Amino acid sequence: MSIKSKLQRMKTHLKAEDTHDGLVEKLEDSPPVLVFADSDRELAEKWKKHGFDPFSFGDQISYRKRSFYPWKNSAEKRDIETTYKLWDEYSHEHPLSCKDVPLHRMLFFDTETTGLSTGAGNTIFLIGYARVLKEGIEVIQHLLGDPSSEGAFLYGFLQDFHEEDYLVSYNGKAFDWPQVRSRHTFVRDQVPRLPAFGHIDLLHAARRLWKHELPSCRLSIVEKEKLGIFRSNDTPGSMAPILYYEYLQEEDPEHLLGIIEHNNQDVRSLISLFVAISNRIFFQSQSPFSQMEHIQIGNWLEQTGNLEGAKGHYITASNYDDKDSGDAFYRLGLLLKKMGDVADAKKSFTKCVQISPFCHIDAYIELAKLAEHQEKDYLLAHAYARKAKQGLKGSQRLTKKQTDLLSAVKKRVERLEKKLG
Amino acid sequence: MFGKRSLNDLIDDLKKDEHIAHWHEMKEEPASTVPFPKSMDDRIIDALRKRGIEALYTHQGSSFQAVMDRKNIVAVTPTASGKTLCYNLPVVQRILTKPESRALYLFPTKALAQDQKTDMNTFIDQLDVNINSYTYDGDTPANIRQIVRKAGHIVITNPDMLHSAILPHHPKWISLFENLETVVIDELHTYRGVFGSHVANVIRRLKRICRYYGSEPTFICTSATIANPKELSSELIGEKVELIDNNGAPKGKKHFVMYNPPVVNKQLNIRKKAMSVVNDIAATFLKERIQTIVFSRSRVSVEIILSHLQELVKNELQRKSIRGYRGGYLPKQRREIEQSLRNGETIGVVSTNALELGVDIGQLQVCVMNGYPGSVASSWQQAGRAGRRKDESVVIMVANSSPIDQYIFQHPEFFFEGSPETARINKDNLIILVDHLKCAAYELPFEKGSTFDGVEVEEILEYLTEERVLHHQRNKWFWMNDAFPAHNISLRSAAQENVVIIDQTKVEKHRVIGEMDTFSAMTLLHDEAIYLHEGTQYQVEYLDWDEKKAFVREVDVEYYTDANLAVQLKVLDVDMEKQLGNGTLEYGDMMVTAMATIFKKIKLESFENIGSGPIHLPEQELHTNGVSLSFHPEQMERFDKKVVEQLLLGVAHVVQHVACVRVMCDKNDLHAVPEVKAIHSEKPTVYLYDRYPGGIGLSESVYKQMENILQEAKNYIEGCPCEEGCPSCIGIAGATEGNMKTTVKQLINSCLTNTGRG
Repeated sequence: MSIKSKLQRMKTHLKAEDTHDGLVEKLEDSPPVLVFADSDRELAEKWKKHGFDPFSFGDQISYRKRSFYPWKNSAEKRDIETTYKLWDEYSHEHPLSCKDVPLHRMLFFDTETTGLSTGAGNTIFLIGYARVLKEGIEVIQHLLGDPSSEGAFLYGFLQDFHEEDYLVSYNGKAFDWPQVRSRHTFVRDQVPRLPAFGHIDLLHAARRLWKHELPSCRLSIVEKEKLGIFRSNDTPGSMAPILYYEYLQEEDPEHLLGIIEHNNQDVRSLISLFVAISNRIFFQSQSPFSQMEHIQIGNWLEQTGNLEGAKGHYITASNYDDKDSGDAFYRLGLLLKKMGDVADAKKSFTKCVQISPFCHIDAYIELAKLAEHQEKDYLLAHAYARKAKQGLKGSQRLTKKQTDLLSAVKKRVERLEKKLG
Repeated sequence: MFGKRSLNDLIDDLKKDEHIAHWHEMKEEPASTVPFPKSMDDRIIDALRKRGIEALYTHQGSSFQAVMDRKNIVAVTPTASGKTLCYNLPVVQRILTKPESRALYLFPTKALAQDQKTDMNTFIDQLDVNINSYTYDGDTPANIRQIVRKAGHIVITNPDMLHSAILPHHPKWISLFENLETVVIDELHTYRGVFGSHVANVIRRLKRICRYYGSEPTFICTSATIANPKELSSELIGEKVELIDNNGAPKGKKHFVMYNPPVVNKQLNIRKKAMSVVNDIAATFLKERIQTIVFSRSRVSVEIILSHLQELVKNELQRKSIRGYRGGYLPKQRREIEQSLRNGETIGVVSTNALELGVDIGQLQVCVMNGYPGSVASSWQQAGRAGRRKDESVVIMVANSSPIDQYIFQHPEFFFEGSPETARINKDNLIILVDHLKCAAYELPFEKGSTFDGVEVEEILEYLTEERVLHHQRNKWFWMNDAFPAHNISLRSAAQENVVIIDQTKVEKHRVIGEMDTFSAMTLLHDEAIYLHEGTQYQVEYLDWDEKKAFVREVDVEYYTDANLAVQLKVLDVDMEKQLGNGTLEYGDMMVTAMATIFKKIKLESFENIGSGPIHLPEQELHTNGVSLSFHPEQMERFDKKVVEQLLLGVAHVVQHVACVRVMCDKNDLHAVPEVKAIHSEKPTVYLYDRYPGGIGLSESVYKQMENILQEAKNYIEGCPCEEGCPSCIGIAGATEGNMKTTVKQLINSCLTNTGRG
């Protein structure tokens, strides 16, 4: 029995790898297409029609496309340049800071791959990046014509790069860039070394700001909800693997046009996203941002050492009449206390407990502390501590943290009672 | 007045026991050593001296020399013979000579890897050099992983991690693969059957990646005593291997006692339960504070023995001084138990085979086994737990009523005259091979004309291309699928799913009590079946075949169920054939189809049929390798069909058991089925086939050894004390027609002698 006929017989025992049932069926309807190495030229002609220029590297061919999007209006250009200028003047450290990086060196970057895993068998077939130039936005896309041309593909991509380039991505730190590094090892003897780029990952920023209000921080959702970008007829990125296999089978670029457009849109969205998030940090907008955004940015600035900036955001947030006002006042109180402004801190905490009497037990505790240590008003301190205790006891079920808090509060109450005699 | 009695007194008492089936005494042996090799780094010698080691045991010396000569080795060493030095010395020597060099250690379990790390780090501390050794497993935190990948001189892991986490991510492991000089495979004998066949393919992939990065590591394997360590290791790694078996570690005097509990039911030849005998024996030693280890096969039995022992000796000892040890205990708890065994706080431990492998618990004085552990190799591993280097020790194996146990007790020479067990793998099993080819293609594209460690694979690559898993371009096959193949392939389980058994007796607390392969589940877990689990009756309320779940509830009924399974075997291709006396033995490809038809309810005491019902389950198909032993039809002419079936069942029963012992496998891996009139030969036939799609080499091995197996089967039936057949020998009690036992024996004998009728 030949191995193949054995395999056919044992087919039920062998696991199928197909994860896209529906599409596979569609694939099987089409006749198998034989692939010849000679067809290189023919394929190159096909890609040229879609704006991709072939370039050769040894016996390999890769494809590159440049698209240019002139500024639609002066506001579009101004927004970006203002953002850039504000960062340049910003005097604190910040993960989004692009200080000292020339604007045209910022590379808004994304890849499309043949799978979602990060192992050796997952190939990048499309790398796109957008740059901000004087007249508009330039998008460069590199396409892997076939899996045996990876050397040419990465060579072309590395040629375009400059040591000073600074990457801006969406989840690129965890996914795209390690994947580029991994692919690079396969051809490291053929192509130049991979430079160590600076890297801003906007996913981290988006999560910080919006994880509480958005169902997920996928780029498509952020685009729709926060950037007001609505894509029509978009090919979702998750379709990329199956479309690429289809392309390889049929050698027809048409299969990939949708995903190429998707990638192009993605990298340009990153520019808007960068501006949108920066605007929130710098109060650059006609229309107001949400209370939660101000709280989260305040928190972010506080953590990165910009206390004044944080204060501004907390105060703005606390002026909203919204569900998180208590939280805003509480955070503001803590910050003011940290900054040494005890009187205002007290006002803040008091506001907090007025707005939401039992949501912020910690505010009572802070008030109790201030009363006990700053004002030496033990009676008042005792009253606040008792409020905290009461609040905790009123909870349905205590978490471990709350249980610890409760016993600390009890101790405080006892101590104060002792002091009061 | 009770005087404290010594181990010697107790041994003398035991010798008088009438149920001792066999008593074997092993003399003490002094150490045999060689001086430190000249080429050995002074720092290593100093570190060894700090440990009080002034010379190497002969096997350690030979291992060092062979590895330095760049030979692959397999060192066969009993428990506690200093085997870790067989690999640690050459590995450390290499790192001291060339600091970039790397080593990969593979242990079958995570716990062993942890142990080894501790051991290695102690050694490194004594060496006082900068060598990084890390474990890499599912528990390794993400931030440490990066350090391990870049800077670990010695990476200690298990085959599963290598398969699913290291090889598929090899670009992240460049510094390991570029500089890999040594691969250590410990506990080689555990890599057999399906697991071993998988691991052999993982090694093929490892070698392929090494070649890609320009390294060519030496392999160091260590193994417990099996018949074919050299063959197994060279199969596993696909290279020539040198055998090192000049064990030089000293041994104390050891008594090996086989204890067969008394028969309590003469007709059925049923013996007193081994477990209660084990309890009594262990308690005798524990009461005198003699450190004792008890081995038992299942986790539940460990718990039962443990509670009995704690109860039996509660007046003499504290509860805490007897501990359990099994899978399912937390790692921290295990470490604590190991520690307290080493320092003597714990007097007794009851364990599953979890302690059989090289976990360091020091040496105890007595080892009691509840039943034959399933293989000679395991028995010796377990026995090795008793016996300090100087003192006397005793090992007591207590037999169950099962055929395998009784067979072993009839043949003590099995143990003491070398080991006849061979460990088999079949790394070219198509199913397994294809699985790993997928992984290999994922890791690196295949080039036309290249092989998979010597195996021609183009046809399979073409098949995978047609299946749209690979893409062929410019003489290369590329992985073109969004799946991560290693995640779909488990090294430890058979290809097919198992049915999970869920006890829903307590509504608020459903629990999984076991699992079963789909083939067996058809007859044992169908709707309404009475399923016995650890002595408790459960009724299957619903078998969800699609989801592979059986929901059961505890019941107390007076019947059991027996299902009819219509099994059909089709011989597809005969690869080998030989005459055995008047019988014919064939080996080849087989298709097994099985369908459960009806089940009967049978009253426990009277064996009356008190009801029946249909089973609605789809037919199952298995394509595998097997042997068929067909008898000359003339021999059967005088019996009616029903009797012939019974006779063949008897033959199948005994031959299966002996064959399983011979080829070192579980009864579930090698099935036996009789057919009164086989389709391909029209003769009465007994089939034995591998219970794994594509076969794992068991029946091939059976084919080669069939003469011996039949001879032993015959001897075994002769040796069985029953009169007309019992569950221990031919599997049937109380013959219906004539003396079944004699007839079965005659049948087997007809395949051993040629009377000219065949």
